[in-house]
Amino acid sequence: MSHPVIPIQKSITDRSPDMDIACRSVDAEEKSLLRRVIDRIADHCRARSLFILHYCTGCGAIELPPTITSRFDSERLGIQPMVTPRQADILLITGYLSVKTLKRVILTYEQMQGPKYVVGMGSCSINGGMYWHSYATVKRLQEYMPVDIYIAGCMPRPEAIQQGFLQLMAKIDRGEGTAWKDYYHNYDTYLGNQQALFGPDWHTPTDVLAEARHYGLLSDNSIGQHTDLLAKFASEYVTQPIPAAATRVVRRSAS
Amino acid sequence: MEHSIVHDDLNEVLRELPTLSVEATSPRRLKVRVRADTLPALLGLLKGRSGYLHLSAISCIDWPDTEEFELVYHLWSYEVKKLVSVHTLIPKKPGRFVSVYDIHTPAAFFERDIHEMFGVYFEGSPNLEPFILTEWYGPPPMLKSFSSRQYVEETFKWQEYSPEWLKELEAKGGGIVQ
Repeated sequence: MSHPVIPIQKSITDRSPDMDIACRSVDAEEKSLLRRVIDRIADHCRARSLFILHYCTGCGAIELPPTITSRFDSERLGIQPMVTPRQADILLITGYLSVKTLKRVILTYEQMQGPKYVVGMGSCSINGGMYWHSYATVKRLQEYMPVDIYIAGCMPRPEAIQQGFLQLMAKIDRGEGTAWKDYYHNYDTYLGNQQALFGPDWHTPTDVLAEARHYGLLSDNSIGQHTDLLAKFASEYVTQPIPAAATRVVRRSAS
Repeated sequence: MEHSIVHDDLNEVLRELPTLSVEATSPRRLKVRVRADTLPALLGLLKGRSGYLHLSAISCIDWPDTEEFELVYHLWSYEVKKLVSVHTLIPKKPGRFVSVYDIHTPAAFFERDIHEMFGVYFEGSPNLEPFILTEWYGPPPMLKSFSSRQYVEETFKWQEYSPEWLKELEAKGGGIVQ
C-alpha cells in the first residue's frame, strides 16, 4: 500500500501588499495605524498568557511535570496547563505520535479556538525519532497540522522546553505566531495527507471550511479534490455547501 | 474451617499424555513441548487436575527458516505455584489452529491479537475482527516477511535537513554517514 504524500506549499509569503496574511483584501479601517497598534498590544498580552492543553503523547509527558511545577515553574512565563481544548492555546505533541493517536490529536486540534499554537516536542515529532522505521508512527507532524516550533531532543530537558516556550512567546509577540491560519489556507493539503493515512472517508465533526469562511481565511488552496470527498462522506457535518470544482477553475483563471 | 484443595502431582498429570517433552528451566518454571493436536487436551488436563486456571498470555513466534509458527501458552496455577509454558508448532500454511476459548475464555483476546498481527486463524474463536491497528490494509505487520522499513519508505516522507554547517562539511567532501 503506498500513498503519495503531498508537500505543504508555503504560498503565504508571496502575497500582494493589499492582501493580508489571509489573502483577503484589507480595507482602509484595518490598515489604520490604530488598528495595527491594537493588534500589537493584543499580541503582546497574548504572548504572556498561554495555556497548554493537558494532553500528552509518547514519553515526553515525563518532562512536563518538572517544567510546569516548582522546579522550573513555567508559570513564571505565564504558561500553565489547561484541561480542555476549547480553553487551551498550545497543543504540545510530546513525543512519538502513532497513527491511532494522530486521529485524536487532529480532533483535539480542530476543537481548539484560534489563535492556537502547536509545539512539536522531541525528535519523534520531527522525523520519527527512534521509531523512524515503525509502520505505526507518524514521521513528520507538519504534514497533518501546521507547527509553530519544534523542540529537538530525545527527550528535550525542561530547560530546552522553557527555551522553546520563550521562542514561541517572542514569535507571538512579534505577530508571527500565525501557523494556525495555514490550516485554513491549505486545508485541502492537510486533509489530503490525513486521508492518505485514514482512508478517503476520513472526516471530523468540525466543519473546517465553514470556520475558514467565518474567519475570512478561505483561500484557493482551502478547497480541492480532497475536500470534495467531505461532501460525499461527511455530509452530516458539512453546514455550508462546498463550492463546485468548475467555479473554482473559472475564478482561478480570472485572477 | 480451612479448605485445602488436593491436587494431583503435576509430573504425574503430565505423564498421562504421550508425546510430551518436559523441561524444568528453573525451580518454578516448566517448559512443555507438545504436538499441536494434543494441546487442547493438555490444557484441559492441567486445568482440571492441577488448578491451572490462569492463562496469562498466548505468544506467537514466526520462525522464518522452518515455515512454522510457534505458539506459547503461559499458564499459572495458584495452588501448584509453577509457571507452565506450553510450546507447540503449527505449519505456516494454512496457518489455522483450534481455539482454546472453551477452556480459557481470556484466550479470545490473545487469539484476536495474534490473528491481527500474524494472520493465524483460530477456529472457534468468538471474534477475530481487526482490533488494535488503525485502518490497516497491508499484510499482518509482525510477520518476518513484512518489511517495516519498506512500508515506511512508501508511506511517509522524511524531514529535509540541510543546515549551513552541514553544507560547509559537504563542500569539503564530508557529510552524514549513511
